[in-house]
Amino acid sequence: MSLPSISRLMRGLRVVGVAVPMLALPLAAQAQTGTITGKVTDAATKQPIADARVLITGTVLGTQTNAQGEFRLTQVRSGMVPVSVLRLGYKSMRDSVRVADGATATINFALSQSAINLSEVVVTGTAGNQERKAQSALVASVKAADIIADAPITNVASMLQSRVPGVALSAQSGTKGAATQIRIRGASSINLSNQPLVFIDGVRLNEGFIGSGQSGQSFDRFNDLNPEEIESIEVVKGPAAATLYGADASAGVIQIITKKGRAGSNTFAQSIRVEGSSSDANFTPQDNYALCTAATVAATSTNPLCRGKAVGDLVSDNPLLRVNAFRTGEGRIVNWNGRGGGQNYGYNLSYGSDNTSGVLPNNRFNRYNIRTNANYVANSKLNFDAGLGLVQTQVDLPDNDNNIFGWLGGAMLGNPLSRNDSPTGQASNDGWFSRRHYNAIVAKQNRLLTKRVTSSVTANYAPTSWFTNRFIGGMDFANELNDNFQPKNDSLWWGGLNDGGSRGLTSRGAERYTFDYSGNMKKQLPMDVEGNLSFGLQVISSRNTSVSSTGVGYVTNSNNSVNSAAITTGGSAFSEQRQYGYFGQLQFGQSNRRFLQLGARVDRNSSFGSASPAFFLPKIGASWAISEEDFFQPLSRAISQMRLRASFGTTGRSPGPGDALTTLTAATFNITGTAGAGVVLGNPGNADLKPERGTEFEAGIDASFINNRVGLELTYFRKTTKDLIIARPIPPSLGFNGNPLANLGGVLNSGLELGLNVAALNMSNAKWDIRFGANTLKNELTSLGGVAPFALGAGGRTIVGEQLGVFVSKKIKSVDVAANKVIVNDLLTPMGNLFPTLEWNLTNTVTLFKNFRVAALLDAKRDFLVFNNTAFFRETQIVSSDNRINVNKLSAEERLRRYGNLTAGQPAFVTDSGRSATVNDVRDQYMEKGDFIRLREVSATYTLPTSLLGFTNRRVTGASVTLAFQNVKLWTDYSGFDPEVNSQTGAFSREDFLTLPNPKTTVLRFNLNF
Amino acid sequence: MSIINFRRAVTRTAAGAVLLAGATACGDQFLTVTNPNLIDASTVDPVASGAALALSAQQNLAFSMGLMSAYSSWFTEETNVGDTFPTRNEFGFRTITDLNGSLNGDVWAPISLAAASSKQVLDLELPTPAANINLARAAMVRGFAVLQIATDFCEGTLSSGPKLTTTQLLDTASFWFSRAIDVGRANASTDGVAIANASLVGRARVKLQKNDKPGAATDAGAVPAGFQFDLRHTDDAANRNRLSNRQWIFSFDRANLSVAPFFRVNDPRVTYRSGAAATAASQDNLPGGYFQQTKFPGYGSAVRLASKLEADYINAEATGTTAMLALVQSRRTANGLPAYAGATTDAAVLTEFYNQRAFEFYLEGKRIGDLRRNPAAVSNLTPAGGVYFKPGYQAVGRDTCYPLPRPETDNNPNTKP
Repeated sequence: MSLPSISRLMRGLRVVGVAVPMLALPLAAQAQTGTITGKVTDAATKQPIADARVLITGTVLGTQTNAQGEFRLTQVRSGMVPVSVLRLGYKSMRDSVRVADGATATINFALSQSAINLSEVVVTGTAGNQERKAQSALVASVKAADIIADAPITNVASMLQSRVPGVALSAQSGTKGAATQIRIRGASSINLSNQPLVFIDGVRLNEGFIGSGQSGQSFDRFNDLNPEEIESIEVVKGPAAATLYGADASAGVIQIITKKGRAGSNTFAQSIRVEGSSSDANFTPQDNYALCTAATVAATSTNPLCRGKAVGDLVSDNPLLRVNAFRTGEGRIVNWNGRGGGQNYGYNLSYGSDNTSGVLPNNRFNRYNIRTNANYVANSKLNFDAGLGLVQTQVDLPDNDNNIFGWLGGAMLGNPLSRNDSPTGQASNDGWFSRRHYNAIVAKQNRLLTKRVTSSVTANYAPTSWFTNRFIGGMDFANELNDNFQPKNDSLWWGGLNDGGSRGLTSRGAERYTFDYSGNMKKQLPMDVEGNLSFGLQVISSRNTSVSSTGVGYVTNSNNSVNSAAITTGGSAFSEQRQYGYFGQLQFGQSNRRFLQLGARVDRNSSFGSASPAFFLPKIGASWAISEEDFFQPLSRAISQMRLRASFGTTGRSPGPGDALTTLTAATFNITGTAGAGVVLGNPGNADLKPERGTEFEAGIDASFINNRVGLELTYFRKTTKDLIIARPIPPSLGFNGNPLANLGGVLNSGLELGLNVAALNMSNAKWDIRFGANTLKNELTSLGGVAPFALGAGGRTIVGEQLGVFVSKKIKSVDVAANKVIVNDLLTPMGNLFPTLEWNLTNTVTLFKNFRVAALLDAKRDFLVFNNTAFFRETQIVSSDNRINVNKLSAEERLRRYGNLTAGQPAFVTDSGRSATVNDVRDQYMEKGDFIRLREVSATYTLPTSLLGFTNRRVTGASVTLAFQNVKLWTDYSGFDPEVNSQTGAFSREDFLTLPNPKTTVLRFNLNF
Repeated sequence: MSIINFRRAVTRTAAGAVLLAGATACGDQFLTVTNPNLIDASTVDPVASGAALALSAQQNLAFSMGLMSAYSSWFTEETNVGDTFPTRNEFGFRTITDLNGSLNGDVWAPISLAAASSKQVLDLELPTPAANINLARAAMVRGFAVLQIATDFCEGTLSSGPKLTTTQLLDTASFWFSRAIDVGRANASTDGVAIANASLVGRARVKLQKNDKPGAATDAGAVPAGFQFDLRHTDDAANRNRLSNRQWIFSFDRANLSVAPFFRVNDPRVTYRSGAAATAASQDNLPGGYFQQTKFPGYGSAVRLASKLEADYINAEATGTTAMLALVQSRRTANGLPAYAGATTDAAVLTEFYNQRAFEFYLEGKRIGDLRRNPAAVSNLTPAGGVYFKPGYQAVGRDTCYPLPRPETDNNPNTKP
């Protein structure tokens, strides 16, 4: 954003900042008010319910209950006041209380458990806060406190793992601090991001991965967030619900709502959560094998494995185990939260630290979060929320994956014949891959230090009971320093001048500003119809800057600043993107049970140039709370609640800055001894480029049965992406550096999502809750716009009629063991799915005697392949696997399938047409079924009875201890270590290539409320 | 609330929203952003930038020749592949599939860039076209780029055109060399003359490759004594990939060019380090260790593109066995080797002649042309079906040239299968 633009934006914000309080003051002066207090409890257990939302209809007033279930609302206009109480997992209640001027009225609520809650208010994907039953498309909600209470999670991604049907998470590796891919309802974009947009309190975050330069080992900005700061997370899954988020939301939206203060409560409550964890690697690396040679068996040999043995003897080595490389990862997490409020203000303060080490020596994660949220209730018509989050994160990632300096690569590609026990053995390979042995790998540093400020200001203004306004302004500013250091050494660890020591520093600034206004008008119309008109404007501006420097060649490793290096270089980059959109939505609700929504958003984005046309995004939907109809009442004993919903909407995905332009690329020349500024052909560009357009139809049923003890959410979705942005491959002979983006082809994602909640047992001393989630996914490339199929990801390809990035190989057609011949297809043939077509999860929670709770989460993915490149590489390239070396291990046919014909003079594989093919083309045997079932989480929590806390004189209001385990057990036929990890950062790869599997983690946690 | 207050509230709220919309200036101006990373092609005047474009094209040639020399050195066993890349090892065992990513990314795309970027200059309406140094330079670059495509690839294509046979490619190269010779000579500057002479050598090589021996001898004979045209490289840490000597990058940074056994004979033309003397450790575990070439001992080492020496070799090969034998003896003497005492049959002399060429132009990307002309005379190659020097890989194949990569054949409307 240019300075004038910032100035304009600031002027605008100042106008709002001044205007809104001015609007409020005259009204505030005239009001006559009182106070409402009360308590919310569970109707069955009589236990207090914390974090229930208490709202006064038609105003901006609202608060949450504390740990004792108590609430207090001030500034309430006198008279009969309608009060609503909402809590996930309970049936909402509404009641009225008479408030006298200057007096305090009391009203208590006893909520019944309900597997679904149609009256829950949803803030995401709507033009104003809406009850769930009015929403035509499903917005999933996750209550953070409920998850954190049991589950051993330390990052926000884990909060979503296996908890929302249709949301698939895939950790890149078991390295602490590594990135997690999030896919909502499949993947629909080839060249643009498939990661959802992330908002925090209405302000869009800088999301995305930051490459460490070490293959799949990427940093993830999502890891900057502390789960403890979060009240709830809402997930907008697709275009049907995300239309109002504009032309960039087709991959979905994640809205994070942070904890707020309790205005009017006149209380202050604190909580402390202390957690210790330990992780173990949870796998045994495979041994390396070799056959002893004449040189290595000699008495003078420096090879301790072969010395004295016979030529041809099989020996093995395991460098990682030999040097005891894995350690027990340790975590120390401390969180403090202070929450409270005065007469007309509330505040929430939190501090968190996460200091965790991974199972590899140079893997550390240190995060410190501070968040302050303050809210001020000027009167019943106006309130303000302000949030400020500060984060410092330092992550050290070790090398792994497709990386010669990686732990697994260095060890599992080693050769036992290079073992060397001579005094100078450490300067040789010594059983590791090349010279990149333990000393080198442990010395290498890849660090990211992030300092980040996220702020938001929200003003809610309700000049009348039928007209509400919401203004949100905020920014996310991240300053990141990426520090890579390779120390000076005499053992030729790194290659080239880097052996003299090298350091690379990249400083990045990622700024994103959000301004959002939405207005909402209600009017009661004839025939019990309520009209609800919403409208608004959203402006987002993003800037990314980076300055990098490198230094190569140091006198000593301690003097390693860049400017101390013999050779220094530098660079910089800058990019900017702006977008804005107007939106409007008209909703009609009849009898508060039949709803119809019509909406649209008009978007513009700087990626297409300043003169680009607007992008029109329509939506339409309907919702029908059929169980509230009179004719349904005979069924109400069996079906407690039911609503039907259907929605159609459109969103998009915009390309990056400058992607539409015809560009040249700067290319220095030095022909005469002096460097000159030259250019080469860059990107042909595409002036007609427009956003990808995703349209989605979604329909479903929300229902509860048997007195709300069984809840069901069933959704069918069909998302079609048109105008797919593809880097249309052009022939390299044209000489361009890049392929132009073009709107070609389409992708279909469709499937069913099922959420089932069962309160199997709900007695005062025994509760059993079951949560089951499942989703299917059909992902299909429906068109490629006439472009020839091209490679996508590791081992994948774009083939119309198949999944995006479907695994391909020259498929083995026949194996003739006698003739030593393997016939394969001439063409690359689809081998199997990249994305699972079925995912399910099952959580059982049992609570005994009110205070002891045990929970377990099972998680499964089916019908997909993993490219086991670790096996492929160890068997066909850098041969170290006994599968290959021990000729007796595999059958003759299996050897032929995996390696082809190894006879001298014979092609490895022969195609249909008689051509030869290599193992690089025929990878059938290494594209393995990745299906698995994982016992992902098991936890046991004991909450101290209130009676035992009596000695604290009610200073301590709650205490609990949790013992939890993560990644407890894995059932799979996959021959590698972990089918969930992925060595690639791209959306269209599922490759296990020397990747660290997910560790097994044990957590002990103490919670104290006071 | 009174009607007046109500109206005031609505009016003020609406006014605030309008002010807000105006203040954020959601119009064209708001969407005007700066992206200094990009060069908008419309902001560059190609005619005024003719010199920069021509020099960029020459740098493109130097860059691509470095890569092609390295890959063809694996292919012709000047060096062994000290790399882990499966795609690079395919060059080593001479079975290259059109799906090979390195074939496209490191070989085909860079040489195509050299050819296309030079054509971009040649298509400009530059002043005094008959003697314009930029046109001469671009013609030379295009000539060598097309020639290299002709020798290394079994067939080729230019600027998304139809498939061209080796002969057609050689004719195309000859055309551009002729133009470079004419324009360079007309320009008459030092650069112009050098470009003309380099192109003369290039055209001689074309003719030899086409078996036009008289023509080759004529062109080669016209090259002045002592002439040499180098592709300059620069030890520039900020532009290491583009400006520095690729052979050294591959020998030092990646350590994947390991001198093949045939060349480890202490010939002064192929120098190398081994064992503890080597300044890099190969990526892969190489049987016998890593032999680091030092013919190009630094990032700034220039690489010979054309020379009178090459012209002499072309002339001798075009002239016949006697001339070849004479040159063999002369070059052996010049390099401190004993006189050739082997058989003097045509075939034996040609083999020895090619051996001398191999040492003479080691790692300059010329040996693959020898393999195309007279495969039987290229000794020291592992025969087809032989065991690859690294364990675990398939047997050595029969390829004598590279296939066009799939990204070209799939996306070029003229070459789609």
